[in-house]
Parts: sequence; C-alpha cells; structure tokens
Amino acid sequence: MNNISTIKNEILKEEAFLHVLENGLKVYFVPKKGFTKKYAVFATNYGSNDNEFVPLGEDNSIVVPEGIAHFLEHKLFEEKEGNIFNEFSELGSYVNAYTNFNQTAYLFSCTDKFYENLKLLVSFVQSPYFTDENVDKEKGIIAQEIKMYDDNPSWKVYFNCLRGMYHKHPVRIDIAGTVESISNIDKETLYKCYNTFYHPSNMVLFMVGDINFEKAIDVINKNMNRGISNDIKNIERIYPNEPKEINNKYIEEKLSVSIPLFNIGFKDYDVGYDGDELIKKQITTNVLLDILFGTGTEFYKNMYEKGIINNNFGSQFTANKTYAHSIIGGESDDPKEVLNKVLEYIKKIKKQGLNEEDFKRIKNKMLGHHVMNFDSLDYIANSFIKYTFNNTSLLNYLNILEDVTFDDIIHRFDNHFNKDNCTLSVIKSK
Amino acid sequence: MCRYSKLELIGGINLLKTTREKINDEVYLNIINGDKFKTELISFYFIMPLNRSEVTKNTLVPLILKRGTKQYNTSMDIERRLEELYGSDLSVSVNKKGEKHIIRFTIEGPREDFVLSNDILKNKLDVLKELIYNPLVIDNKFKEEYVSQEKRNLKDRISSRINDKKQYSTTRCIEEMCKNEPYHIYKYGYIEDLENINSQNLYKHYLDFFKKSRVEINVVSNIEKNEIKNIIKDYFPFDERESKLLKRENVIKKDIEEKTVIEEMDIKQGKLTLGYRTNIPYEDDLYTAFLVGNHILGGGPDSKLFINVREKESLAYYIYSRGYKYKSLMLISAGIEFDKYESALNIIKEQIEAMKKGEFEEKNIEQSKKAMITSMKAVEDDTYSISEFNLSKVLTDNQDIDEIIDSINKVKKEDIINSMNKISLDTVYFLKNQ
Repeated sequence: MNNISTIKNEILKEEAFLHVLENGLKVYFVPKKGFTKKYAVFATNYGSNDNEFVPLGEDNSIVVPEGIAHFLEHKLFEEKEGNIFNEFSELGSYVNAYTNFNQTAYLFSCTDKFYENLKLLVSFVQSPYFTDENVDKEKGIIAQEIKMYDDNPSWKVYFNCLRGMYHKHPVRIDIAGTVESISNIDKETLYKCYNTFYHPSNMVLFMVGDINFEKAIDVINKNMNRGISNDIKNIERIYPNEPKEINNKYIEEKLSVSIPLFNIGFKDYDVGYDGDELIKKQITTNVLLDILFGTGTEFYKNMYEKGIINNNFGSQFTANKTYAHSIIGGESDDPKEVLNKVLEYIKKIKKQGLNEEDFKRIKNKMLGHHVMNFDSLDYIANSFIKYTFNNTSLLNYLNILEDVTFDDIIHRFDNHFNKDNCTLSVIKSK
Repeated sequence: MCRYSKLELIGGINLLKTTREKINDEVYLNIINGDKFKTELISFYFIMPLNRSEVTKNTLVPLILKRGTKQYNTSMDIERRLEELYGSDLSVSVNKKGEKHIIRFTIEGPREDFVLSNDILKNKLDVLKELIYNPLVIDNKFKEEYVSQEKRNLKDRISSRINDKKQYSTTRCIEEMCKNEPYHIYKYGYIEDLENINSQNLYKHYLDFFKKSRVEINVVSNIEKNEIKNIIKDYFPFDERESKLLKRENVIKKDIEEKTVIEEMDIKQGKLTLGYRTNIPYEDDLYTAFLVGNHILGGGPDSKLFINVREKESLAYYIYSRGYKYKSLMLISAGIEFDKYESALNIIKEQIEAMKKGEFEEKNIEQSKKAMITSMKAVEDDTYSISEFNLSKVLTDNQDIDEIIDSINKVKKEDIINSMNKISLDTVYFLKNQ
C-alpha cells in the first residue's frame, strides 16, 4: 500500500503509521512488539463543549441540551438487533466508551480475533438506532450516573472551579448534563448531532498492538457505511465570547466529606493556540507548575510540615484552542489559607526569580514520565487521539519538550499567575 | 514513504520468564525477565498477619520512612533525587489480602537505554535501600516531628474513608459481615490507637516488623537474572529472621444468619451492597467454577445483573459482583435510588436463584470464560500487574497464568451450578440518605 505515511521518535524507539481513507477518516497505527493486548479506539472530535452548532444540511445554528454528546455515546451501543456488548463478549473482548469536553471515544481491547472486533467497532459506531422508547429508557440510567457524580467530592470541587472561572464557555457545563437537561433529549436531536459530528472526516481510528496494518485498513474500508457521502464539509461550531475575567472568586458547597477539598483555578486568557504550539504551551506550563508546587519544592515541604496541606496535593495545566487554565488541588482544613500562601509565594518568586537547576531536574522527570507512559497501550491510544484532534502528534512530544528553554518558563511565569484571574472552589463538610 | 513492511511483526514473542529463589528464611526473590517494557520495577512486600493490635503501627511505618532517610533527610531531598532519576516513582502502599497485612515499597523508572544514563538501576536501588533500610533515626527513635505529623495525616486519612461512598459501602459491608473475624480490620488502622504511638515504640515496631515479616521481592526488568540476583543480595541483606507467622484464613462460617444493616448519610444516591459467603476455598476444585459463575452473574455488561437491573429496569448505572479470593466472599454492589431498595434487592436475589437453578446458557459460560482468559493474558502487559499477580500467586495456590487459563477452560455447567448452590447471603448493607 503506497499511501501510508510515518512519524518516528528515535528516543522512544516508536513509530506511528497513518493512512487516510477517501471519506476523510484518518487511520493510525502504532506497533507494539510482544504485548498480548491489542487496542483500537474510534473517536470523534465532538464532546460536551460542542453544544451550539449548525447541523449538517441546515443554515442556522441550534443549541442542544446539555449532556447530549454523552447521551449519544450511551445510545450508540444499542442496535436494531439488541445490545452490542453481547457481540463483543462473544469474542472475549472488552468494549467501552467515554465522553469528555472535546471528544467521544469508543474502544475495545482484546487478545484474540482483533479483525473481527475491529469490524464490530467500525460497524456499530456507524449505525445509530434511536427510538422514542430506547431514548426514554436511557434517561433513568444516566440519571443514576449523574447522581453518582453528585456524591463525588473531587468531581464537584473541579466543576465548581470551572464554573468559577468561566462565564459562558461550555467547559463549565457538566459533561453528562443534569437530570433536568437530559429529560429534554429526543431522538430527532440525537440524529442531528450524530449526522453532523460522526462524519468520518471528523473522526480518527487508532490502533496499537501486534497488528497487521494493511489487513486492518482493509477491514475498515470494507465496513465503512456506504450511505455516508464522501463530501467533506466543515462543521461550524459556535462558542460564546468568553470574557477574560473570571466569573466568581469563591465558590463553596457542602457534602459529606471528612476534610475540606479545594481547587484553585488560574484562568488563562492567552488562548487560540493549536498544534505543536499548544503542546509547547502545555509542557511549559506543567514544567512551571512542577517547579513551583511539585513534591520536590520548598513550598510543598513547608505547607506539608505546617499541616496546611497533606499528600493529596497536585497541580495541572489544561489547554485547548478555546480555553486554558491551571488548577492546584488538594485537601486542607483551611483552603483560604492555602490560597493566601500560594499568592504570597508567587509574589515572592516574582521578586526572587526561578532557579535553573529546578528546571533541569523537572525536564528530566518529564522525559522519564513520557518514556514510562509508552508501556501503557491505553495511555498511547487515548493520548494519541487527543493530540491528533489538537492537530499535532503524540510522537512530537519529546522534541517539543527538548526545545523548551528556561527563558520560556520565565516568560510563562510572568504571564500566567495573578491574583485577579484566580478562583477558589471549596467543598466543606456538612 | 512506506517503511511499514520492514516492521511486520511476529506474534507471540518475548514471553516473560519468572524465576523464584529463597534468599533467606521467609525472604524470596522473584525475577520476571522480559524485554518488552521501557521501564523496570522493583517491589518489596512485607507481609504480616492482619492483627488488630498492630495494624495502625504497620500503616504508620511506611509513612514515616517516606519522610526522610539518613542520606535524604527530608521528603523534598528524596523527591529531588527521584526527579534526577528521570522521574522514577517511589511509592508505598498498605493493603490487606485476606487476613494478611501487606506493606509495599516500589520504585519504578525508565530503563537506562531509553534515557541514556548509566547505572540507573543501581541508582534506583540506592534510593529504595535508603527508604527501607536507613530511616532517619535520632537517639534510637524516629524523628519526633515526622511521627507527630504523620499521626495527624493518618487520622485524616482514616476519617476520609467516608469521602468515596462506593468504597465506603464495600468496606462497611465487610466490617459487618466479618465482625468476629480478623478480616473486618480496617487496613489503615484506627484513630484511637494513635494516642499511644510515639517515635520510640514505633521505631521498635519497625525493627520488629522487619524481622517478623515474610518478604517477597519482585523485580520486573530486562537485565539478566543472575546480575539482578547478585545486586539484590548485595544491596539488601537479611539476617535473624523469626519463624513463620502467616496462616491460611478460615473461610468456612457455619450457621449463617442473614442480616440487614442500614446506615444513613447525607448523599444523593443510595449504595446497596450484598455480602455472600461462597463457602468455597481457593484450594477447592469448584473454585474456578465459582469464578466463572460470578462472572456470568455480575462480571461485565453482558452479565445477568447488568442486563436485568440496568438495561431492563433502568435502576442503576453501575452494578457488579466481585469475588474475594483469600476470604471466599462475593460482594454485589449497585448505586440506586433510595426508594428502589426493595425492587433492586428482589431482582438481585432472583438472579442468584436463577444461577442456582442453572438458568443460563452455554453461550454465557463461553463468553465469561473468554473474558476471564483475556484479562488473565493482559496481566503480562503491565509491570505493576505482573508484580501483584505474582504476589497473589505465591501467597495462595501457586498457579501461573497458563494453569489458571487451563482450569477456566475445564469448567462445566454442572460445576458452576454446584458452586452457586454453595453460596449463602450473609449481610445486606444499604447506605441511604438521612
């Protein structure tokens, strides 16, 4: 087969192969020697953030009920003939799916009969079957899923933090929606979402393991839904204009917990990055967070020794084209004191400056972590999809990391943190 | 463009090879050799009987050790050393497997050929040795501040078990079920014990624990096994071992009286847990048949519980059934509306009855067998799973993956029916709103 392109990373000793089908579907493959598991993910660039768009074949945009992307994910497992779980079970494989802010992914892992599993995956994701009755039945199940999250303090503290940072951006919406919002979902709207976002040109199919790529491409090609046109149309997604300022400085909720949980969010207004630039920004900020708040810092040591925080403490930067933020989270009897200490500390470092030795150590650590992650097929598959939808490749990561300089970190530090772009979300005990 | 053909892969290569060697009384070294991973992992498991008077001290010891060593006085120094070692991960955990209390110390990091750094295995072992062998000791005591801080942290940790309602319900059900057996003991210990623990008696406990435990050392690496053996023996000397303390759990309980425990908390979703005694020890021929039956009942999205409770009645988002090997228990868990308690309970009991009467198809058996075999095979794809599997193996029936797969394949329908007729309901636990 001639039209296969490759991307390679010498340090990891890994490579990825790409073949693009006529209908625009990108099919990727990373070979893994000696692993017994084989893993495939079929994902669409569509998540809970895409709740306003122009449906395929229409002229005007619509706003859909919150939680519909996730609802659609549940419903795709239903076929005219029954539930698809059963067919995967017959092959002894494990099938699952997940929806996040930006993507919906369907996946299976198996040790045997890979190509039969692949055929099933490709066909079920391409054959929606929604009826009034089966849509209604799912509402009860998803309501229980929502309530399970309602009792989950780390989930609540995180979403409250997002709502504190964002006024309008849909990242503030719960991925599964609310019991109320999902009650408004009907089969017509589900089909509209499906037809718009599940076109192969908006999707990626990724495989990892000990697999013959050409044979897999053949299986995928033969099982593509011929009813879908090969015309590749741009999807118009509408995001509200998000102000630069945060929405709320402080959000508090009470749940049955033993010790308060907190998330401190720093909203990033410098957005719009894509591809390698986006990854560079992610890496730079995460190195910076580790230099400032990691377990190897004086800051962590002091806070821990004073008993203000415990070992449930961490920080992470998340970035997408339309939104970005850092979150510092943990448990403390006095979350407001944690915030004060964080802000004081940032002020102090702004005067003192950062230390280049710290930078070198953290860069080493990030290199090692990336190498270690490549022992996990699940990690490779799910990260690969995410990077692809962000118009870059997971295999570019190490080169980008290598290019990050201490000056990049200093520059990022000067721009990212200030007391006016931060939100404190707290879950207190009842 | 197409370099692909050169990379055509052959299946079934690089099987992992495990060797086991006794290096002292109650000290064993297990080396799992293979080339497929980019990382290497070294785990030390210290295994003691699960004992009410020692459980809190056992839990505190690794927390103190992680705070500082002779060479690395603070956890910050340890962390910085790990960052230099390419983010190698040093972790400790406290667990119970049956009536055994297990303290694990692990270091895992990239292999030297992926980060182009020599001696990284030895450097990792140096840190692990510091952690286990060379704690920061002042006047025959652990450092005072570390002990008082970690006592406070452990108190928080024990109180925080209410935060995860799913896990909390499982733990509570087992506590109620095994009230008069060591298995009820909470793995992280008890707040009321903390008062009497100080830096002196805890240090003494550490020395004791070191001598009395059974030790299993697991190494997953690509380095040649004799080389590993020599390094481990050289780095980690063991002497003066005390005699064997571990016992096989008592798993048969006579005259079971079904009881119901209802607890209230301010929550949005009810958590229902049914605790069964399987009455089948893992040494029994029916044990594997029970596992297959358990899978048909509540092992996955094609199971009887999932189909009848979730898909048909929309009563739950999650419902599953799990076997507890060492103690021969089976727990069914579901998240439900508070007022659906009766109906969920009835459907679950009906499904158990159906299993006992053999109301399931050959197809269900085949599917469950396949799923179980797939997950057994997948153990070999992850260094941590390999190490955990190996530990369980040497602590129980010594069956390796191929033998387990073999016995799964041999299970017949009548064995499953027989095994299901042995199980009996012990405790129904329900966590509801106030």
